[in-house]
Amino acid sequence: MFAATDISYTYSSGRKGLGKVSVDGAPGDRVVVMGPNGSGKSTLLRLVSTELPSRPGSLTLFGEACESSMGDFRKRRDLRRRIGIVQDTPIHVEDLTGLENGLLFAELYGLPRAEALSAFSALSTSLGLDDALDVPTREYSYGMKKKLLIAEALVHDPEMLILDEPALGLDPPTRVALLRMLEERSERGVCTLVATNEPELAKKLATTVVLLHEGEVVAHGSPAELLAKVGGATRIEVHVTGSPPADLGLPADIVSIQLRPGRIIAESRSGPDVLPQLVGAVLATGLKIERIELREPDLTDVFMLYTGQALNPEALNRPLEGDSSP
Amino acid sequence: MNLAVWRAQWLTALRRRRLLAFNILIPLVFVATIALSPAPDVHAAATFTVLFALFGTFGSSIPLIRDGESGLLRRYVLTGVHPGGLLLQHIFATATLDLIQLAPSVLVIVVAKGSSAPQAAMVLPALALGLVAANALGALTAALAKSVAEGALFSAMAALLLLHWAGTFRTPVPGTWQATLEAWNPFRPLHESLLAAAGAGGPDLDPVLLAIPMGVTVAVLLVIAAAGRYAIGLGGR
Repeated sequence: MFAATDISYTYSSGRKGLGKVSVDGAPGDRVVVMGPNGSGKSTLLRLVSTELPSRPGSLTLFGEACESSMGDFRKRRDLRRRIGIVQDTPIHVEDLTGLENGLLFAELYGLPRAEALSAFSALSTSLGLDDALDVPTREYSYGMKKKLLIAEALVHDPEMLILDEPALGLDPPTRVALLRMLEERSERGVCTLVATNEPELAKKLATTVVLLHEGEVVAHGSPAELLAKVGGATRIEVHVTGSPPADLGLPADIVSIQLRPGRIIAESRSGPDVLPQLVGAVLATGLKIERIELREPDLTDVFMLYTGQALNPEALNRPLEGDSSP
Repeated sequence: MNLAVWRAQWLTALRRRRLLAFNILIPLVFVATIALSPAPDVHAAATFTVLFALFGTFGSSIPLIRDGESGLLRRYVLTGVHPGGLLLQHIFATATLDLIQLAPSVLVIVVAKGSSAPQAAMVLPALALGLVAANALGALTAALAKSVAEGALFSAMAALLLLHWAGTFRTPVPGTWQATLEAWNPFRPLHESLLAAAGAGGPDLDPVLLAIPMGVTVAVLLVIAAAGRYAIGLGGR
């Protein structure tokens, strides 16, 4: 469906956007690109969507070399009409209603009006936009604009989807609806390329995860393959009053521990079963426990493993400067 | 041909009723003030020409720059729409809207100055041509500008320069290279027709005089259609 080989991009300021990244997707694949802000996720999506040129490197879309298609209007048009794009920022004609915007983009994709109306109505119902279709989009909230953007990207039933942070700003029912829509399309052979920083979304959605760091791929594979690399250790954070002593007695199942003022961060291979022993060991030192947090390993831990940096610092309670890779 | 962008422009203009009213009333008040004043007709005609040309140029360049900055034009182009076709739809939609918004002002000129029927009849096609040219000029300046302020500056400078080369600010001297240039200039019929309508002693405009400027305008539009993909900001893609 798509194959990007050694694609690169340097911004006009000279900043590297992407350096020799190779990524591909077959029909039905859901390729999720993860990485911190500025890692090149959006740049990669913009390159694959033909918005930006890749020099050097090559991009093949639907079996055709992209650069050769770009010079010919008909080829370019036909190629772009096979893709549905959700940009990170929802942009619409603000004075038009949701329905008018939807029909505008459907028509730009070449859909006859009756077909456009039927397809867009079905999508807006699935995404919970029905009540707002007669309202100018300037009155939409961010989440509503995002829903509209998703409906516009899917209205022409594209063979490939390129979605930049598609779930950002969506309410939980719409996130579920979006996942279902993407899975249904995937079963019909639609290839999806998604950029996100949400490990849960990536885990649920991806058939392949690509981890980007500073414009380069640091790891890729299925979510299960990548999670296996971190060994499945459960992370336990015990928040205490005062500083834990260095000679804290450790239960046998604890595979690593970090002692910080006010915090003990342990990793357990036996999940939360180790908790009673750990709590006992902490209380035995005379410290008081304020709260305990448990977190199963996710793709942020995989990213940490490969780069030593947090994928999404906001998602963690506190950044762990100086953490060593497991 | 897919006219979705044309329709979107019209719907947007009709939704912005306050702006629509201002776009009709402000030129009307300005034109009426001058047309009903004892200002010399030649100066009045030049002022009307400048107003109408800038109205078209600004009205085209500023929305294009704004839509470019917001990323809307990129969204359009990524649907596969022809960038040149998109620009042409924009130019013709805004030029037609300009014509409708300026029609009451033209009526005031014709009535206040007591123009003859042939003089009045020539203003409309000349204004239509001038507005298409002005909107095309706006699209070209929008391609060069990196902000709305730059767009306004470039539009004003380019329009005023072309108006100067159309003979708006001086008495034409037949047989000079400037006179040849004027014959090609799409703003010249507008100025000539307004001079005649304002009663400045200008000749009744021969419709044939529209032919060459119309040809030049069509040529410019063809260039815009062909080079549109370089103007919209996807690096020619």
